[in-house]
Amino acid sequence: MDCRTCEAMVDAYVDGELSARDSAAFEAALATCPDCRRRLEAARDLSSLLRGLPIDPAPDLLRARIERDLRAIAGRPRERLRWAAIAAGLILALGLGWLGGALTGQGGRHTDEVIAGYLRVAMAETPVDVASSDRHTVKPWFAGRVDYAPPVHDLTAEGFPLLGGRLDFVDGRKVAVLVYRRNQHRLALTLWPAEAGGNTSPDIVERDGFALARWRHGGFEMRAVSDLAPGEMGAFAKALDKALDAGG
Amino acid sequence: MGRMSDAPKPDGRTLERFRATVLPHLDSAYGFARWLTRDPVVAQDLAQESLLRALRYFHAFRGEEARPWLLRIVRNTWADLRVRQGAEPLPLEAAENRAAGGPDPEQTALASDRRRHVAAALAALPVEVREVLVLRELEDLSYKQIAAVLDLPIGTVMSRLARAREKLAAELQGRLGRRDHGLSDL
Repeated sequence: MDCRTCEAMVDAYVDGELSARDSAAFEAALATCPDCRRRLEAARDLSSLLRGLPIDPAPDLLRARIERDLRAIAGRPRERLRWAAIAAGLILALGLGWLGGALTGQGGRHTDEVIAGYLRVAMAETPVDVASSDRHTVKPWFAGRVDYAPPVHDLTAEGFPLLGGRLDFVDGRKVAVLVYRRNQHRLALTLWPAEAGGNTSPDIVERDGFALARWRHGGFEMRAVSDLAPGEMGAFAKALDKALDAGG
Repeated sequence: MGRMSDAPKPDGRTLERFRATVLPHLDSAYGFARWLTRDPVVAQDLAQESLLRALRYFHAFRGEEARPWLLRIVRNTWADLRVRQGAEPLPLEAAENRAAGGPDPEQTALASDRRRHVAAALAALPVEVREVLVLRELEDLSYKQIAAVLDLPIGTVMSRLARAREKLAAELQGRLGRRDHGLSDL
């Protein structure tokens, strides 16, 4: 094999596209050709550089969008549902009771604000305004930004690492939102001081692949939204309550 | 691929088959869309549109390999979107030149910086060589599969791949200011 043939085979060899016989011939030719050995080395290096690039999996919210589309197609062939429609559907479903006044003494229209807040968290490239798993960084960040001191706990040990915090508006009032992660899912916890009443156990509903929880604990109204399974949402509420009870 | 109007409305069983066959390749579809569009938000729209289109064409799916089949739809959907949005070759060139700006070549010491350079160099390549490299190195497709995705003869795939590697090596050397043979000490 002359060097030109050998050179032409480098790529196909690296790509595993040579037959066993051609591979053997190429390897034999390499032994006598330092130039082609160098070419081979460079081709392998380039390949491993590319293969070392991080791969981003499809975002959960893209999955949720497609899931929603598939369901819509199964039922109604021509409908194209977009984010606004997803949010609207959730709000409609939730308007029937989630966040209802009976438990909290507050109007159901918070619902759309909480959901919209979650969509911002879930869709944004940077879901948090302060990114830290350290409560001693996140908690002071809220000082002067909201008119109460939200309890901040990192729940990494329970499988819900704290990603950080952000601000949102519920009923015209600035509220604290803590963002947690569960595997590749994000969970947004909106919380504000309860007006009255003791602890309640979480009321968890599942709508269109989203789990929503509302409860009261340690003097705070809790609203959590995520694309987790309801059981996982329950585990989150339990872990949070335990952390609150353990102190501050 | 059939026209949209030829497609029967998918029934429950078709949807289940689609979920089991095509949906597992969503990560690949999104990843390819990321490298085609070079924009994570547009890539989500493209991936979503492609999956819907794949469902419409699914009645024509004959049990071939699902991943190249889906990637081909991503590629065609992207081409259609660009036509619809009136994209011209020139603005694309401009975008590529912008992407070529890249980070400061001084900071090549760290692995994450190196990856950033590699990603920027790949993103700066013209699309017809970029896509072939992404399919080969990131999606690990064979020449034959790449030929199917891009609807090209295998010989053309090979020559484009060779050109893509040359251009990428040159791009990287330009960014990193390394000597002109080999990349082993990157």
